[in-house]
Amino acid sequence: MASMRKKSRGDNLVLRYAILGAWALVCLLPVLWFLSIGLRPRTEIITPQPIYWPTFSLDAWHMIWSDWPMARYLRNSVLAIIGSVLIDLVLAIPAAYSLSRYTYRGRDDIGFYILSTRMMAPAIVAIPIFFLFRNAGLLDTIWALMLIYAAINLSFVTWIIRSYMLDIPKELEDAARTDGASDLRILWEIIIPAILPGIITASVIAMIFAINEFLFTLLIASTSQAYTMSVALANFTGGSDGVIYNAIALVAFLAFVPVFIVVVAIQKHLSRGLTMGAVKG
Amino acid sequence: MARIELADIQKKFGLVWGVRDVNIDIADEEFIVFLGPSGCGKTTTMRMIAGLEEPTEGEIRMDGEVMNDIDARDRDVAMVFQGYALYPNMTIYENIRFPLRMRGVPRAEQDALVRQAAGLVELTDYLDRKPQALSGGQRQRAALARAIVRQPQVFLMDEPLSNLDAKLRQAMRVQIKHIQRQLRITTVYVTHDQIEAMTLADRIVIMQSGAVQQIGTPDQIYNDPANTFVAGFIGAPPMNLIAGRLADGTFTAPGLRVTGLPERRGGKVTLGIRPEDCHVTVGADHLQGIVFGVEPTGETTYLTVKAGEKLVEVKADRDFRADLDTPVAVGFDTTRLYLFDTASGDRLR
Repeated sequence: MASMRKKSRGDNLVLRYAILGAWALVCLLPVLWFLSIGLRPRTEIITPQPIYWPTFSLDAWHMIWSDWPMARYLRNSVLAIIGSVLIDLVLAIPAAYSLSRYTYRGRDDIGFYILSTRMMAPAIVAIPIFFLFRNAGLLDTIWALMLIYAAINLSFVTWIIRSYMLDIPKELEDAARTDGASDLRILWEIIIPAILPGIITASVIAMIFAINEFLFTLLIASTSQAYTMSVALANFTGGSDGVIYNAIALVAFLAFVPVFIVVVAIQKHLSRGLTMGAVKG
Repeated sequence: MARIELADIQKKFGLVWGVRDVNIDIADEEFIVFLGPSGCGKTTTMRMIAGLEEPTEGEIRMDGEVMNDIDARDRDVAMVFQGYALYPNMTIYENIRFPLRMRGVPRAEQDALVRQAAGLVELTDYLDRKPQALSGGQRQRAALARAIVRQPQVFLMDEPLSNLDAKLRQAMRVQIKHIQRQLRITTVYVTHDQIEAMTLADRIVIMQSGAVQQIGTPDQIYNDPANTFVAGFIGAPPMNLIAGRLADGTFTAPGLRVTGLPERRGGKVTLGIRPEDCHVTVGADHLQGIVFGVEPTGETTYLTVKAGEKLVEVKADRDFRADLDTPVAVGFDTTRLYLFDTASGDRLR
């Protein structure tokens, strides 16, 4: 009886892995597809006949590194994104703490205003922002990208962190206060560790938005000084060579990899964070 | 190690009264229990002592010093919370050490103090665990150790045992009382459990709707209740409160007649009698009714008698058994009768 149960459970496990594996493959298919495009010679990509055994080629790889300052684009992306997430956290954590813990007039309205910045179409503010940054002398710098990415993501980072803070029992803070901790201490030693999954979740989502950001980056970055991966992709579409599909695919893949690695590395926190926010937020 | 005075304390939440006219003088080293149903203002009163709430009016003094404007973290009080409030990201060791760290106790002394406090609550083997890895009782003890560790002037305990099962609660009660006596620290304890109040307290403060109903030793509260609320709240099963009329020294209610009462006043009066001061008799007595229920507990048998529409609880002999609806007569120990004004609920003395 026991062995039977064990066996059936084993079968079940195999089935489970098979289904999950199949699903993972479906999800990964587009990624593998553009990776395969990126590693093929140009001539093979644009033929109308399907090619079942593609030729492996590093043409695009060599091209993006030698003909284009891809390393700088990558560096720009990474710096701008990390910087923007840090700015977001520094601003969002105190804001969320205030919104979730103190009672004052208009608190809920302020919370809503913060969220509402996310509701307008980005194009509406594109021109004013261009002038704003031009007057500040920030055009074509990574600093400008950090600021703009931070501004785009700040509202929902604040909102996610706030929902996590609301879940922390008030008792915990009362205990810390009677134990002799100041407000800042409480925030630093009690609250932040307790909402770490939320902070990580918000940061990862902010990173994903930032790495995909195109409109404002294009507006602000006019030379390779501040070009990021997402804008660099546009380089491969308009030139005398026509659309360079394999380079686009490869750069897209390179933009995808860092986020993928981060997500896998902190997967445990992330899944907990997303579900927690979903249920209780 | 501190005397606490609450003078004319009022607390209003918006338009709602949380606490009204509270005047209590808590002696040094006293174990005082605030008892009352939920929402009676007992926790709010405690939180005002802790400095987590500000009184709308009135003064809180510790050893004569006015505390109203002193922040919670600068008052030398330690609090144990209902949900334990252990810091989830820290080990038990770090939890117990936290108040020492916050109050700038020299690093060299911290370790010994933490181990001493953990020893008092028998948690030495669990110091490197996180709170999630402990049982309810162990978490409770960890919270207690965190309060003990810095030897505060005052302990505040907010329903610390209410999340534990009955058996553990009894064991922890003994521990808490033992530790309090050992450390001789003034303790304010909030509970809605009258057994906890009776067993732990030097004095009990009974509260209802934000107001103090009676302050006294457990014996005073039990034997000399000030009003029907106190009478009905203390005791398990609680005191029988039977509404009726008093005239010419005779109290009458459906199925009930008690003569020879002091004739201080007449009219609508409520008679109070504890189940243990009732006894089943043969032949007519103070109360005639029918058997409504019989509950043997082993050590005793609780008999519920129906007289008119009223159910009266009687503590009978352990061997007492009876069929439902059979007539039964109950006598009262007339020296332990209480009379209350029905309208106000106040005791008639």
